[in-house]
Amino acid sequence: MKLRYLIPALVMAVWTAAASAEEIPSLAEQVANGTLPPLAERLPQPPMTVDFGSRGKSLGRYGGTMRMLMARSKDTRQMTVYGYARLVSYRPGDFELFADILEKFEVEDEKVFTFTLRKNHRWSDGHPFTAEDFRYFWEDVANNEALSPSGPPNILLVDGEAPLFQVLDERTVRYSWSKPNPDFLPSLAKASPLYLYRPAHYLKPMHAAFADPEALAKLVEDARQRNWAALHNKMDNLYRMDNPDLPVLQPWRVTGNATSTRFRFERNPYFHRVDPKGRQLPYIDEVIFNVASPGLIPAKAGAGDTDLQARYLSFDDYTFLKEAEDRFPFDTRLWRTAKGSHMALFPNLNAEDPAWRGLFRDVRFRRALSLAINRYEINQVIYYGLAYEGNNTVLPDSPLFEKDYQTRWAGFDLKQANRLLDEIGLERGEDGIRLLPDGRPLELIVETAGESTKQTDILSLIHDSWLDAGIKLFTRPSQRNVFRNRIFSGQTLVSVWSGAENGLATAFTSPADFVPYTQQQLQWPQWGQHIETGGQAGAAIDMPAAERLRDLYFTWRDASTRAAKLAAWKEILEINADQVFTIGLVSGVLQPVVVHDNLQNVPEKAIYNWDPGAHFGVYLPDTFWYGEAPTKSASAD
Amino acid sequence: MLTYLVRRILIMIPTLIAISVITFVIIQLPPGDYLTTMINEMQSQGENVDQSKIEALRAQYGLDRPMYEQYFLWVTGLLQGDYGYSFEYQLPVADVVGDRVFLTFVLNFATIIFIWAVAFPIGIYSATNQYSIGDYGLTFIGFIGLATPNFLLALILLYLANIWFGTSIGGLMDPKYLDQPWSVEKALSVLEHLWVPVVVIGTSGTAAMIRRLRANLLDELQKQYVITARAKGLPPFRALMKYPLRMSLNPFIADIGNMLPQVISGSAVVSMVLSLPTTGPMLIGALQSQDMYLAGSFLMFLALLTVIGMFISDLLLAVLDPRIRLGGGANR
Repeated sequence: MKLRYLIPALVMAVWTAAASAEEIPSLAEQVANGTLPPLAERLPQPPMTVDFGSRGKSLGRYGGTMRMLMARSKDTRQMTVYGYARLVSYRPGDFELFADILEKFEVEDEKVFTFTLRKNHRWSDGHPFTAEDFRYFWEDVANNEALSPSGPPNILLVDGEAPLFQVLDERTVRYSWSKPNPDFLPSLAKASPLYLYRPAHYLKPMHAAFADPEALAKLVEDARQRNWAALHNKMDNLYRMDNPDLPVLQPWRVTGNATSTRFRFERNPYFHRVDPKGRQLPYIDEVIFNVASPGLIPAKAGAGDTDLQARYLSFDDYTFLKEAEDRFPFDTRLWRTAKGSHMALFPNLNAEDPAWRGLFRDVRFRRALSLAINRYEINQVIYYGLAYEGNNTVLPDSPLFEKDYQTRWAGFDLKQANRLLDEIGLERGEDGIRLLPDGRPLELIVETAGESTKQTDILSLIHDSWLDAGIKLFTRPSQRNVFRNRIFSGQTLVSVWSGAENGLATAFTSPADFVPYTQQQLQWPQWGQHIETGGQAGAAIDMPAAERLRDLYFTWRDASTRAAKLAAWKEILEINADQVFTIGLVSGVLQPVVVHDNLQNVPEKAIYNWDPGAHFGVYLPDTFWYGEAPTKSASAD
Repeated sequence: MLTYLVRRILIMIPTLIAISVITFVIIQLPPGDYLTTMINEMQSQGENVDQSKIEALRAQYGLDRPMYEQYFLWVTGLLQGDYGYSFEYQLPVADVVGDRVFLTFVLNFATIIFIWAVAFPIGIYSATNQYSIGDYGLTFIGFIGLATPNFLLALILLYLANIWFGTSIGGLMDPKYLDQPWSVEKALSVLEHLWVPVVVIGTSGTAAMIRRLRANLLDELQKQYVITARAKGLPPFRALMKYPLRMSLNPFIADIGNMLPQVISGSAVVSMVLSLPTTGPMLIGALQSQDMYLAGSFLMFLALLTVIGMFISDLLLAVLDPRIRLGGGANR
């Protein structure tokens, strides 16, 4: 009697040691009736084993539904962000890259990149994921005029040069350039990554080069699209996660339709990550996004309507959430954000008005503006003194950090600010407001995108101290599109936005945030556009310090050693600190994170950042699981 | 009467055409189009979008054609029951709207019933007991309803409903019913959630309605025939119901036409705050992102409701009040 059980158990034990035998309970039925192959056949060889030890994670249990709140149906893309399965991914802590979907990657001088896929890796529909999917993207999507009228993504072009793409064998592909492309790997690991592959088997019936014309015409007609390219583009968006039919490589995939106010994501039975015991991830069976208006999300979070939430919560909600913890089983944690500056002022060096433009280009003026801001007061009043005060630069946790970058010209020193302004020759008028050289009063209009009242609160604090320096500040909120367009066209004088995205930069991180690089940079949109478009639009840089920054970027890009990259970075940060191109206010602001008491493996202390970090992504939500024992008192700091 | 009806219906056609033109022009008035919104968003997420891609997308969406051409495409589509394509949702408008129209009707119908149910007795009481404590008290409450910002009231009621009854915050039903088919539990859950928005949207309409009914009724109550009826010994309640109340009903009926669109647009803001799955928030979102066919179709729908509502209220008025003559030619 006992023997009957013992033998299979022994076999099981041996097999577990070799691979894994534990079938996921929610999939067991499908496996039993043959609609789904057994676990061993679904996992790639080798699977990606998450290192639980170094990440401080505990082994989990299968099952459960994770509820989250979102504000728009477009937010389905957050599932791609949180899922965070990338060709290469960032490790939290040191933010080094490791092979995630890839089995391995080899880089030669940042010019030749060879990627090896895992054996037997499969899309969420069970179809093999191979080099063909890369070839399809490169040849039939990126280089197809109808699908990509502007050609391959910019990141794949180094000085206009497209990579040489080679399929070495079924599991190996290679991208090579004649010049280094150091942004290539990081762009694959982003929250919104560059996708180098597409599920070719699914998309080919929608591609004119492969499909039967009549069948394709019918597909286009049924989907009410204008042409096959529109259909293809609509159906192939891996990032948006809005097409339930599109196979993905993420831990969860969407089901249901786009107009719903509730989105359901079910587990991908072919997901490539396993825990140290070889059990397939994710632990949690399904994730639900309930859509609510953004203003209501803090209230709903406080009513226990979410299991894991940070998006649409802000530091203001912390006290309310803490108070609500008594009524509902959740814990509110505070994670530090990692932007170079949570909020910064951007004097527009490309302003249209010559008098203002001249002033903004005078470094003394920018320094005076920065010196006349009481950052301590802003920190105390708005952030209870919990944020860092200082310039828009890298944060203390970054290996590039130097105290001087953060503090230079960032102390509150009205006397020096006034002296600098006097030195420029800005006389005070009768009412104490200084006058521009042409006699107009120094009335500085600061524009905001009108999305947060906090910006206006902070600006009203700055208003008072600037007034002591003889500068009158006016706030002008507008709408995001109008806001950006006014800046691009030079109508805006000073704007408010968040500072550099990545405050945790290393020598290998792109310094693009700190040098003229794109039109999106509010301090020099036209210079950025000039560089971005290869000189076709915008205006050429005509300021030595900014020219130096541009050159340093190329120095950094082409440098092959860590030391050389580090040197370029240091000089870039040094110039930014000294020239005050952007006026940082506070950084490292705390982000409340609501976590259900039963949800395990969510870190107590962590960094909340978009890129790198993908918000929850680097902490691998596929390793989160539901336990019964509330750990509230034990884990509270 | 028949000619009046026919003429009345025929007038609705040019009205709707004029509205469709104005709607379309107004949606297109702000600078930029849906693509600008989309591109801004892509750029804010760090995606690079260059000019040739923008042009290609513009051609793909048909935004490169002149405005009148876009208008004719849209209108001819409307006539064939094709409401166009929503850029934002990448779906035909009809598919996007779906369940929302039904829930909007439920919400707005409940609100109108609420307004009437509350305003009617209060209005009658206030008029018959003019300047009494009850009149002042109810009027005061009515004005508070009118003066409180809807969204504030909504948030307070939501919070209280959650604390007292454990009702989930926002929405028109418990989240777990969202993707389930209709059932008794689901309908009950809707009822449980419905009262907050109904009260919030209803309060302001109620106050106005109370005042109108009170003023009209007061007018009638002073009249000779009422005094005569009373003097002849007609019981007071009957004396009130039979004639003066009927005469003061005009604003109720005349309002039907206005009320439909008013309640729908008034509920948009509340729906935003309470995140109700009605058409309001979707319309606002569509206007913000310049998703023009979606917004245009919504607005045309509202316009159609107004026009039909006006038609119904005209008919009812004629039935209710024989003093209203139809058409100038009927004069003696």
